[in-house]
Amino acid sequence: MDAIVALNQVVKDYPLGKLTVQALRGVDLTIAPGEFTVIAGPSGSGKTTLLNMIGCVDVPTTGSVTVAGQRTSALRDRARAKLRLEKLGFIFQTFNLIPVLSAAQNVEFPLLLDGRLGKRERQRRVAELLDQVGLSAQARQRPNELSGGQRQRVAIARALVTDPAIVLADEPTANLDSVTGLAIIDLMKDLNRRRNTTFIFSTHDEHVMAHARRMVHIADGVISDDRVLEPTPTPTYDAAVA
Amino acid sequence: MKRLARLRVLGQMAWRNLFNHKAKNTAVGLLMAFGAFLVVVGSSTLDSIERAMTRSVTGSVAGHLQVYDQNARDQLAMFGGGFMGAPDIGTIPDFGRVKSTLMQVDNVKAVIPMGIDIAEFYTQTELDQAIESLRKALDARDEDRVARMEHKIRAMAKLMDEERQNRRKIARNKAEVDQQLADIRHIASDAFWEGLRRDPVAGVTTLDTKLAPLVDEAEGNGMQYIGTDLDAFVKSFDRFELVQGSLVPSGHRGMLVNQHFYDNQLRNAVARMFDDLKKELREDGKTIAGDPLVQNLVKRMVRQYRRVTFQLEPEEAKALEGELRTLMPDAEGNLDDLVQALLDVDDRSFDTHYAFFQEHVVPRIQLYLYDIGDVITIRVFTRSGYPKSVNLKVYGTFTFRGLEESILAGAHNLMDIMTFRDLYGVMTDEKRAELAEIKASVGLADVKAEDAEDALFGEDSEVAATPLPEAGSFDELAELKRAAKAGAARDETFTQADVDGGLALNAAILLKDPSRLEETWGALYGASAQAKLGLQVVDWRLATGMIGQFVSLAGAVLYIALIIIFIVAIFIMNNTMVMATIERATEIGTMRAIGSRRLFILGLFFSETLMLGVVAGVLGGLAGYGFMSYLGSAGIPAPSDELILLFSGPRLFPTVDGGQVVSALILIVIVSLVATLFPAWMATRIQPIVAMQAKE
Repeated sequence: MDAIVALNQVVKDYPLGKLTVQALRGVDLTIAPGEFTVIAGPSGSGKTTLLNMIGCVDVPTTGSVTVAGQRTSALRDRARAKLRLEKLGFIFQTFNLIPVLSAAQNVEFPLLLDGRLGKRERQRRVAELLDQVGLSAQARQRPNELSGGQRQRVAIARALVTDPAIVLADEPTANLDSVTGLAIIDLMKDLNRRRNTTFIFSTHDEHVMAHARRMVHIADGVISDDRVLEPTPTPTYDAAVA
Repeated sequence: MKRLARLRVLGQMAWRNLFNHKAKNTAVGLLMAFGAFLVVVGSSTLDSIERAMTRSVTGSVAGHLQVYDQNARDQLAMFGGGFMGAPDIGTIPDFGRVKSTLMQVDNVKAVIPMGIDIAEFYTQTELDQAIESLRKALDARDEDRVARMEHKIRAMAKLMDEERQNRRKIARNKAEVDQQLADIRHIASDAFWEGLRRDPVAGVTTLDTKLAPLVDEAEGNGMQYIGTDLDAFVKSFDRFELVQGSLVPSGHRGMLVNQHFYDNQLRNAVARMFDDLKKELREDGKTIAGDPLVQNLVKRMVRQYRRVTFQLEPEEAKALEGELRTLMPDAEGNLDDLVQALLDVDDRSFDTHYAFFQEHVVPRIQLYLYDIGDVITIRVFTRSGYPKSVNLKVYGTFTFRGLEESILAGAHNLMDIMTFRDLYGVMTDEKRAELAEIKASVGLADVKAEDAEDALFGEDSEVAATPLPEAGSFDELAELKRAAKAGAARDETFTQADVDGGLALNAAILLKDPSRLEETWGALYGASAQAKLGLQVVDWRLATGMIGQFVSLAGAVLYIALIIIFIVAIFIMNNTMVMATIERATEIGTMRAIGSRRLFILGLFFSETLMLGVVAGVLGGLAGYGFMSYLGSAGIPAPSDELILLFSGPRLFPTVDGGQVVSALILIVIVSLVATLFPAWMATRIQPIVAMQAKE
């Protein structure tokens, strides 16, 4: 199967005052569709930078990043926004829901930006995903009326609503207690299996890492370890909706 | 449909964000609301003042337009504007031609000749009146009245004696003052009055020649007047209202005195001050104890007590003294002391003393310097520089409705234009002949200025060769003749052709439809230029003088103030929104990360501002509307005299309409959108990566 994400000799420099900090120092990485991959490593190792590259919110200094067949550094801002909207879903450490919208509206939001689906289809998808993350009853509540775990479930539903090829999650459990954190990882893993969506997430929590099927370890801007923990299963629920 | 859904969520987000960022939006919203409030209040007030002023100025003396000499040195200022006397606005030598030309112009209702000038007028002094009364009493052999007048004149002589003694101390020519003192003392003596009863003619002549000239001409008062076609004036200016007396009959010379001028400049000072005091206490709600200015007014009034006592004849004085003692049983002293006690009112005694004054004092004194129906002497220096006097009958008093209290509007007295022309020094054929006669009789030759030196000092100097007439041989007689003519002048009648066919300084133009002023202004200019009348045409604002430009000035001040307020507001709003944008960076970054385009962020920001602007603008505008509606029924009191003219009365009742609220709203929304430009642009620059970096 073709790689959904391919990084080739990616170098990323950040100016820091007069110095230049090299966050990534020649990373080669290929991720196939349907993988459930964790990027692990201590703080400052470059894992967030790596995720930003994959998420098309940042471009490499040298080297190339190809996401869903498109080389990101060659795209203009608008095209990258389109790529993010259509191919990528984001889950943030701090959930980042839009405070003034209800849970259902937050989930619907990317569909509205996309603008290709009618109202009925949007509502069907929102209802389906809220059901899948177990929040049907909280659909009309605003983020500040939800618990941390519930908010992250809304964020997951939002990330998946456009039926993206890849979902990126930067430390999705860092702001949650360990029980809730594991429940969120289980939910992501379940959705990965049922929808065959590629999940790439970062963490430094070893309990969370253990649930991944592939673990890429990064240290000092280079991949220090890359191993498969369990094989990627055949999807139980194909992306029939796409 | 899909786009609509996106707009809906945009609107919804924007609307909810208004309530989600309360601190920022309350601050910015209040600023916007205040701005809208100011715009409504300001524009409504200005519009109302402009309307009120149009009413009062166009309806009193200015008309809608004014024409005057296009080469005039100064600008026309109907309500004053120059600092030094009357401005030199040139002349319209042939008003008749101007009138007939301009009346042809469409929309012109009336063309009224005018001339504004300032003169001194004289009434008889109290001594003159007393001597006149004595003369009549002697003729009628009315011994009682002779005795009363003797008492009065001797009392005056005594005061003049004191005054001359004081003057002697500082006089350079002491001998002259000593002579005057001797005359005064002679007249104050019993011997003089015995002699007067034996030879009345000699006695009265002594009074006339020795005593009367010693009274300083303090009774000469300044007055401003407009010479005009009185019939046309009264008919055309709708604010004109006769108060007392009658109009000047058509074709007759005469004056109408402004009631305000009559009450304030010509009325007995004590009576006037007592009324001023009443206004302060009863209308303005002040107290004597609580206001030093009012206390000062009482003090000044007390000092004027002689204006009452001087006018009383002995029995009247006696009667009043008795009545005063009944009113104030504890008061001591003579009549002077009693009158001072009467005038020295406090908050408790004011009402009774005022009532007493009206009932017992007013009927016994001459309340005005002259009465309606009297003839006064008006003296001016004509443009050619020689003094000129006319006697003129005062037919009545008038006021301009709504401007009764205005000093500016109250300064204008009205006079027939024929008398005005005489006072202005217009040369009639008759006068030219008279002047030629005088010149011939004194042997004066016309000398051109450039030949003057030669004429005076050249060898064939004719001037020197002409024998000078003996000093005093013509002077007094000519003056007497002229005075007699001036006195007789008031009996002459004149026709409308006389009124139209002469000089005016300026002319007021009244329009049938005032809303077409601009258009008519142009047409008048065209007509004037075509007929080579040499006139300039100005609208009433400009013609009014400084006060007329007040509205434009106030408008400019308001707009500058608003611009400054809006610039400050834009900075504050901009700053507040930039801060808010920084706070919302994660939210914006998130939206960007999950696929929002920059346009969406821009749309969100402008929608928020638009909604806030509309809400705040409507609230502020309605508050302004409410406030002005309240003022519209309560009225804004005019704090100064100038404002009475602007307000067209002592209170301005402003009106406000929906249009002003809508303009304010539009203005506020535009200003808010401008203030949003930078923060919104900044928001679109927020990178999606910001969302990733957010750590709690």
